[in-house]
Amino acid sequence: MAIACPVDLDTRKLREEIQSIYSQVARGPSGDFHFHRGPAYAASLLRYDAALLATLPEESTASFAGVANPHRMGPVAEGSIVVDIGCGAGMDLLLAALSVGPRGRAIGIDMTEAMAEKARGSAQAAGFDNVEVRLGDAMSLPLEALSVDVVISNGVLNLTPDKSVAYGEVFRVLRPGGRFLYGDIVVASELSEKARRDVELWTG
Amino acid sequence: MEVLSSVGFKDVNVEERFDPFLGTSKERTARKYGVTGVNVFARKP
Repeated sequence: MAIACPVDLDTRKLREEIQSIYSQVARGPSGDFHFHRGPAYAASLLRYDAALLATLPEESTASFAGVANPHRMGPVAEGSIVVDIGCGAGMDLLLAALSVGPRGRAIGIDMTEAMAEKARGSAQAAGFDNVEVRLGDAMSLPLEALSVDVVISNGVLNLTPDKSVAYGEVFRVLRPGGRFLYGDIVVASELSEKARRDVELWTG
Repeated sequence: MEVLSSVGFKDVNVEERFDPFLGTSKERTARKYGVTGVNVFARKP
C-alpha cells in the first residue's frame, strides 16, 4: 500500500528535515537515531553478505540506513549502467560498481551534500574509477532519458511526497527492458491522519 | 505497487520482506501499522 501524502503536508519542511537528519547520519552515524545503521545491521536484518561488506570502505558502510536489499533481486550484468537513487554514503552504490565492473558505470544521486561527499570519498578511497556521484533529487533526476539499464534505491522513495512523480522519473531514465530494483517500506494498514502528518515518521 | 503500474512498469512484484525496525525505538509503531521493508521488482517494457 502506498502512503498517500496529505495535500497540506509541508513538503519543503519535509525536505529540510530529511536533509538535516541524513546530514547528521553522514557526520556521526553512531548517534541516536530511530533507525538502524551500519554493516552489522545490513548483514543481520537485511541479509547482505557480511564478508563482501567488509571489503568496502567503512566510510561507506557505517552510514548505511537502507530498509531492504536490492542486490538480492538478481545480478546486474557486467558493463551495465546502474543508478542508485539516494545513494547515501555509497554502500549499495559500491556494491553495484563491483557488479558492473570496469566497463560499466555506477551513478549515485543524493540530495544531501554531506552524503554525496562521503560517497565520492569512499569511491576514490577504494579506487573505483567507474563511480560518479551527482547531487540531485528523486523528483527530478539529473539524468538523460533512456540512458540507464538498472535503477536501484533503498529506503529513499518512501521519503518522496509524490510517488507517481518519482516513479515516473525512473521510468523516463530507464531504457526499454531496464529493471527497477528497489527497497522500500510498506504499511499493511491505513495510517491515521495524525501519523500521515508526522514529519518524523516520514523521515524514518 | 499500483503507482508503478500506472506509470507503465510491468512485472511489478514484491520479492522479499525484511524487518528493518526490529529493536529500534520505532518498533512498536512499525508493528502497529504493519510496516515492513520490501524488495520490489519492476521492468520497463
